[in-house]
Amino acid sequence: MSATTSVAPPAGPPPLPRVGRIRQMADFYATVSRTAVQEQFQYRTANTMFMIGMVVEPVVYLVVWSVVAEASGGSVGGYTPGGFAAYYIVWMLVRNMNIVFTPYGWEFRIREGQLSGMLLRPIHPLHYDLAYFAGWKVIAVLLWVPIAVVLALLFPPELTVNLAQATTFLVAIWGAYVIRTLLLFVLGMVTLWTTRVAALFQLYFTAELLLSGRLVPLDLMPDWVLRWVDLLPFRSTFGFPIEALVSDLSGAQLLRGLVAQVVWITFGWILAMVVWKRAIRRYSAVGN
Amino acid sequence: MAGPITRGHRIDVDVAQLGRTYKVPVREAGLRAAARSLVRREHREVQAVTELSFAIEPGEVVGFLGPNGAGKTTTLKMLTGLLHPSAGRARVLGHEPSRRDREFLGRITLVMGNRNQLQWDLPVVDSFEMNRAIFGIARPDFERMRDELVELLEIGHLVTKPVRNLSLGERMKAEIAGSLLHRPQVLFLDEPTIGLDVTMQKRIRTFLAAYNARYGATVMLTSHYMADVTALCRRVIVIHHGRLLYDGPLHELAERFETAKTIGVTLADPGRDLSGYGEVLSVDGARVRLRVARAEASAVASRLLAEVQPTDLTIEDPPIDDVIERVFATPDGSRSALPDDGHHG
Amino acid sequence: MAAHPDTTAPPPGSPHGLARPDRVRRRDVVRTLFGVSALNELQYRVNFFLQLFESLVALATAVAVVALVFLYTPTLGGWAPWELMVVVGVHTALGGVIRAVIQPSMQLLMEDIQEGKLDFALTKPIDAQLLVSLRRITVWPLVDVVVGLGVVVVAALQSDVSVPLAGALIFPVALALGAVMIYCLWLIITTGAFWVIRMEHVAELFNGLYQAGRWPTGLFPGWLRTIFTVLVPLAFAVTLPSEILTGRAGLLALGGAALFAVGLVAFTRWFWRLGIRNYAGASA
Repeated sequence: MSATTSVAPPAGPPPLPRVGRIRQMADFYATVSRTAVQEQFQYRTANTMFMIGMVVEPVVYLVVWSVVAEASGGSVGGYTPGGFAAYYIVWMLVRNMNIVFTPYGWEFRIREGQLSGMLLRPIHPLHYDLAYFAGWKVIAVLLWVPIAVVLALLFPPELTVNLAQATTFLVAIWGAYVIRTLLLFVLGMVTLWTTRVAALFQLYFTAELLLSGRLVPLDLMPDWVLRWVDLLPFRSTFGFPIEALVSDLSGAQLLRGLVAQVVWITFGWILAMVVWKRAIRRYSAVGN
Repeated sequence: MAGPITRGHRIDVDVAQLGRTYKVPVREAGLRAAARSLVRREHREVQAVTELSFAIEPGEVVGFLGPNGAGKTTTLKMLTGLLHPSAGRARVLGHEPSRRDREFLGRITLVMGNRNQLQWDLPVVDSFEMNRAIFGIARPDFERMRDELVELLEIGHLVTKPVRNLSLGERMKAEIAGSLLHRPQVLFLDEPTIGLDVTMQKRIRTFLAAYNARYGATVMLTSHYMADVTALCRRVIVIHHGRLLYDGPLHELAERFETAKTIGVTLADPGRDLSGYGEVLSVDGARVRLRVARAEASAVASRLLAEVQPTDLTIEDPPIDDVIERVFATPDGSRSALPDDGHHG
Repeated sequence: MAAHPDTTAPPPGSPHGLARPDRVRRRDVVRTLFGVSALNELQYRVNFFLQLFESLVALATAVAVVALVFLYTPTLGGWAPWELMVVVGVHTALGGVIRAVIQPSMQLLMEDIQEGKLDFALTKPIDAQLLVSLRRITVWPLVDVVVGLGVVVVAALQSDVSVPLAGALIFPVALALGAVMIYCLWLIITTGAFWVIRMEHVAELFNGLYQAGRWPTGLFPGWLRTIFTVLVPLAFAVTLPSEILTGRAGLLALGGAALFAVGLVAFTRWFWRLGIRNYAGASA
């Protein structure tokens, strides 16, 4: 039945030689993040609006806690209004480092079948997202600098930084970025098992808001909350990088924070790989 | 690097007893059912593809036909590793697609006519650059291939424009170029010309033929436009209700399924009633088209020549669209159920 | 180019062919639009529970924040804990109104302007502003209205909150004025899409700004308070109703808010017509 009369050309095309894996990954990260810069530069109006919208949140926290500090004799939990100013101005930069591909985005990719296109590429989608959003950070930081300057004029910060703190900060913001990317990736994959994910996402983001240091420096949290904080990854993704710069952490404390980040990256990576494997099996089993 | 050797040939796409069952969630109305479905959903099984077997040799261009819902896209997804088969086995270039080896993914491509994989807001060349990085193509190879594709598809003036500013047809050409940069050996094309105007469809066909000739790439193509198939494919695989219905040369499809022929007659005396000779399909002035059973075609033609004495007479297979329509009208797709008499098709 | 026909509405009550008087028709349209949207959504009842869950989580978060603040201070800018809960309640309720009634239609309007599809709305024989303002309604955020008002009632009954009778009576008026002002702000921003096409992130920007309303505007430094009064009228929309209910402001302040609202409504209407005229001129 499968007899065919068509005459096939003698040879198939020789496959193109591929470059080495490590060189390819370096090139891939460079290309994708460059693309992100180009693309996001086109959305600069939207990005600016986004940043302005984002200023409101830390300014509100800053105002409220400054009022509290002044009402309780100039400082609360060790933070003066100037200390809060430093915290929440650095907060904005860390918040920007926190922008990763969201579970809502994964839900969309899965629902719209975009995941199929990503599966046809010989490279893991996580690499794509890590590279793309890393590139976006360039634009975000460029927009943050003028905003930070204006905020510093309006709310004078008190900030002294030594070399160890600055170095830790620069490493820690990328650690935070990787941890959050991995965790939100895992959360996004849940979409494959249930279609009603909005409530779950909201619970996660609420816990994150309260327990990461985004709402308030974690030092102000009651002790029983802090016990939970130590068991969860949120501080590594937000509070720790800020504290590294604005609190007087000792060298040992800085190191402990970085180690915690490494632990969470390892955990997140393993979890992401396990979930991904099951997710792909599920995606290609359910059909789409 | 080559596929498995079967009967002395290399086989690029090898499918044996391939089957795919979908679980479709059953949702009942009402709040309780909705709440229950949050935890446990009930499913119904649907057979999308059943016991499908075929083999495609390197360099073949095969038309993959079937009505909507026949299982074409499901099959293509299984062959590209997006769907796991629930029965049987598929091999593409010697790989099991569902394992999604990097080596495998780097040697195939899937183009879907209604999907856009290019970066929407960036010039086309930047998307090409991205694909270079994704597929790890060495720069000189990439540039040679890119320039060649740009030339073949005549998109030199488009590649510096952002994708969002391109028309649907232009976008499709850019999409195709982008999907071929890594010079895949096997191309899966799912409705690559859908929604395009006739000129653009033609251009894409010409390109695909040229690409196939130049690189000897294997192509598996689905299309609603039979013109695509007749222009490109000598061989067609037809599936219906997920089962193989026909696999062979395109020109034999009509012989196999079409029990009728069309006789075109130009009358010397227009207006004469020919319904006694066969089913009158159309009357256009002096030109009458008749549909007659295949076996009787020559007899009817001689009678017409003798009794009607037309100025012109032709015997043709019906247009391929009609043949396909007839194939798909077959209940269950089983050939034994084909009507013997073309008049009641 | 003459003004678009719809921008010059016929005088109320004047017969207009077979059409019924404008006022009747308007009421009819509002009722129908509401009904259709509501019916569409009520089919998915499980959404109600999800929305209730989300509202309660959001409320719990707000309560946690307030509780945290009052760990360190007995009053915040003169507001006692339960008084601050009044602000939280008003903020939640008004947020529900925004997400249910105002934002959906405004986002639809924005999309229509961008895609040039507004013609359909403009060619209907009903006031265009009314139509575009009520075309899409989502029902479930109204759960927030109930939750928010529940919080207001519970908070008002606590012993450290004293509610003057007059305050209780004019509170709904203040709340309604607040909703009108927020609506005007949205329509002004959206109308801006007639000139500046790319406005997708306006919703995010607004929601970011709206979050500030959870706190009394009196806490903010002067320049920020001005922004939250004139540019984004949170002071009028959220703080003022709370101040009225807790006896911090009275009829005089309400009168001021009413004046401001009237001015804002007039300006919005003028700006909207300007936008329509620009649209008609551009697409002619």
